[in-house]
Amino acid sequence: MTNLSPLTEVTPEVPRSRNRWRGLLPRWSPRLGAGLGLAGAIVLFGLIGPLLTSDPATIRDIGLTPPSGEHVLGTTVTGQDILAQLALSTRGSLQIGLLVGIMATLLSGVFGIAGAYAGGVVDEVFSLFSNVMLVIPGLPLVIVIAGFVPPDQRGTATISLVLAITGWAAAARVLRAQTLSLRNRDYVAAARVSGEKTWRVICVEILPNLLPILASQFVFAVVLAILSEAGLSFLGLGAANSSTLGTMLYYAQNGFALQREAWWWFVPPGLIIALFGGALALINFSIDEIINPKLRDRARRKRDVVAVLPETAAAEQDAVLTVKNLNVVYQADTPVHAVKDVSLTLRRGEILGLAGESGCGKTTLAYAINRLHRPPAEVTSGSVVFHDRDGEDIDVLALAPEELRAFRWVKLSMVFQGAMNSLNPVTPVRAQLQDVLRTHRSDMSTSDREQQCVEVFRLVGIDPERLGSYPHELSGGMRQRVMIATALLLDPQVMIMDEPTTALDVLVQREILNEIRRLRDELSFAVVFITHDLPLLLELSDRIAVMRDGEVIEYSTAEDLYLRPQHPYTRQLLASFPSLTGERGALIP
Amino acid sequence: MTMNYYVRKAAFYLAALWAAVTLNFVIPRMLPGNPVDILMAKLQQRGGTVDPAARQAYETLLGTGGRDSVFHEYVTYLGNLLRGELGVSVSAFPAKVSDVIAGSLPWTIVLVGLSTLLSFLFGVGLGAVVGWKRGTWLDSLVPATTVLSAVPYFWLALILVALLSTGLGWFPLSGGYDVVLDPGWSAEFIGSAIYHGILPALTIVISSIGGWLLGMRNMMVSAMSEDYVLTARAKGLRDSRIMIRYAARNAVLPSVAGFAISLGFVVSGSIVTELVFSYPGIGSKLLQAVQNNDYALMQGIFLVITIAVLGANLVVDLLYGLIDARTRDRSAVA
Repeated sequence: MTNLSPLTEVTPEVPRSRNRWRGLLPRWSPRLGAGLGLAGAIVLFGLIGPLLTSDPATIRDIGLTPPSGEHVLGTTVTGQDILAQLALSTRGSLQIGLLVGIMATLLSGVFGIAGAYAGGVVDEVFSLFSNVMLVIPGLPLVIVIAGFVPPDQRGTATISLVLAITGWAAAARVLRAQTLSLRNRDYVAAARVSGEKTWRVICVEILPNLLPILASQFVFAVVLAILSEAGLSFLGLGAANSSTLGTMLYYAQNGFALQREAWWWFVPPGLIIALFGGALALINFSIDEIINPKLRDRARRKRDVVAVLPETAAAEQDAVLTVKNLNVVYQADTPVHAVKDVSLTLRRGEILGLAGESGCGKTTLAYAINRLHRPPAEVTSGSVVFHDRDGEDIDVLALAPEELRAFRWVKLSMVFQGAMNSLNPVTPVRAQLQDVLRTHRSDMSTSDREQQCVEVFRLVGIDPERLGSYPHELSGGMRQRVMIATALLLDPQVMIMDEPTTALDVLVQREILNEIRRLRDELSFAVVFITHDLPLLLELSDRIAVMRDGEVIEYSTAEDLYLRPQHPYTRQLLASFPSLTGERGALIP
Repeated sequence: MTMNYYVRKAAFYLAALWAAVTLNFVIPRMLPGNPVDILMAKLQQRGGTVDPAARQAYETLLGTGGRDSVFHEYVTYLGNLLRGELGVSVSAFPAKVSDVIAGSLPWTIVLVGLSTLLSFLFGVGLGAVVGWKRGTWLDSLVPATTVLSAVPYFWLALILVALLSTGLGWFPLSGGYDVVLDPGWSAEFIGSAIYHGILPALTIVISSIGGWLLGMRNMMVSAMSEDYVLTARAKGLRDSRIMIRYAARNAVLPSVAGFAISLGFVVSGSIVTELVFSYPGIGSKLLQAVQNNDYALMQGIFLVITIAVLGANLVVDLLYGLIDARTRDRSAVA
């Protein structure tokens, strides 16, 4: 039963706005329906069942009769009706589950939410306490406690309390992590600065956002309590005079139901526990999807429908990459046409700038060129042709999966935005460079591979010693250099760079840009440089394409674009960047 | 900095150990009942000598009813623990608690250790594949295994016994080995122990695999939308390599970090499972102790189980430091 515990802790994305109550409701799905239906049926059985069935304690001289018309689920060894017992026991188990669920959730709230909100020493102490409680195994502790309490003093309340005390810690840890991230959000900080009372900040600003997690942890606590209580009762250590599904199993075991093959006695109680637990787990799936939207079901991947245009006009002189009438659509409920009929030509050794505000489709275009786009994005028509050095034309959209894999990085490499996340955090950077060589240059010797890694590190100006470093040990600028070095490994003819300098400070940005230009001059690969920073492109690029709403609206040399912008949007873009010298749109020196 | 992580971990587990030891001391003193008298009466029944030394030993463990100061009792209790003196068991009189534990602990450690390892490997492996192949029929494995993990361990054990032992006669009903054999390192005995262990192990694996699978699958789904996986695809790496070295390698971290919680469930579940199979492990002994009011044995077993769980968690935590370099360098790890 680890399924709903902190394994889902990672990056639970809580709705950003505090008023998005609708986002806190689970989305309807067959799973949720099945879970709610099953759980509801069992709860109803526990509530109403005992009223409709005969007295479960009545002893008859028809011990261990199999299920029949009169006794739908047969009888126990002393002739008691099992259906009646089952109904009463279900009620008993649900009561304990509910009671413990509430108490455990309250405890985890106090230790998780309040601790994390208070911060400082309180948080440290609460967190240490939760973690200690977490590593001390629960059931042995409960058994020892139950063993010391004389049976006549072992009531339902005592057992519930003990179960709650040993069952809250995991939830507290999840809640703490989430509260810590919430209390640093802007609107919470704003509320605190404006002098709102602490309880008000917690109740109004933080709790609503924690509701999905609280709900999920509550559901989990209920299941855990029912399971633990069943185990305890099965051992004969449950609450005195209580009837739960666990005590039923205890009597079944001691009445040798197993040996006498009286399956109707020991199968139903366990089945109810399993079904109820399963139903609550299904409900929790839906809650988990609110906490972590990445888990939502996705439509199956459809094959790209590509109408490859026949090679009509000969490719432009000296071109290395020709994109023709490319269309990319996000197949959502209302399809979004992200790239519309884009045609571009990249010449050998040229730097082509791709400019536009965020959301204009420039990144989608870049990904589609290398077929890295993922569902629901789909290339609906157009062609991408790569003109290899040796004269061969490669229709990228028509490549078979294995050919595409062999094409990537060898002919065309990429540098992504935010190098921190582009590097695998758990392996040294050497391994991530070596991976490329091992895959694409499998005949290379180990020492040659190492030599090649050292060489590209020198090229981008990093001490080869740093090959052994983990990504988190490098600065932002250095990580981006590592990515560029990786992109250079196979001497590609095209490099697509998606906002490679956006996350860096201005000085480092400048160094990296100079580096890119120098490397291009030395190694003569072509670059598609994507950014929203038009002045930067004016300085760096040979030609520039300006994109807006998925279309290329202007496409010319950097000089022409700067001196004679044709489209009003381009003029608007140029005007929106004041220069340091006061001159409108001037190049940054 | 590197030491820092390990020092912090060691300090945490020392704190947890102290908490467990103290809990063990406090519980009998806080709860109603008069355990020392019950123990002495039992001891007498079994023909034990009711000398003052025996009574004193029990009082140190369970409380003197206010004759000595609690602090004095506590110090004596800690001293006894350090010397490994856990008292005399009344249910296995005249055996010492430490001997009873020594005889049953290996059974549990091998059974629970192996099944947990198997369950972790299968669960995480399957979870990685299910997450990677998201959107295929494999998705239906997720709710199925979740229902399995909501099944009480002991009930599953009963069902397995009914089907595979009573029904088909494939496996023995109970016990840890064939009783006609002498326990020892003979091939015959080990074979018999393995044969008897299959069903209890199967119970633990089936019940706990769902948790690992779901946790890993969810993390895999998250990891697959990370930039480093996209980069790996752009690099033209083979799918198997991206799945294992990039996605799964990162996705497994929370499963390892959450090991402590899962181990708690497994240990709890296996105690009850041992009862169903009359397995000669420490869980059965704990129940025997509880049913016979053998408080000394009860406390000794609780301590040993806790120490074993803490030890396993410490090992996993140290391992985590090895597989995630970032933890070692981060100073604030809770």
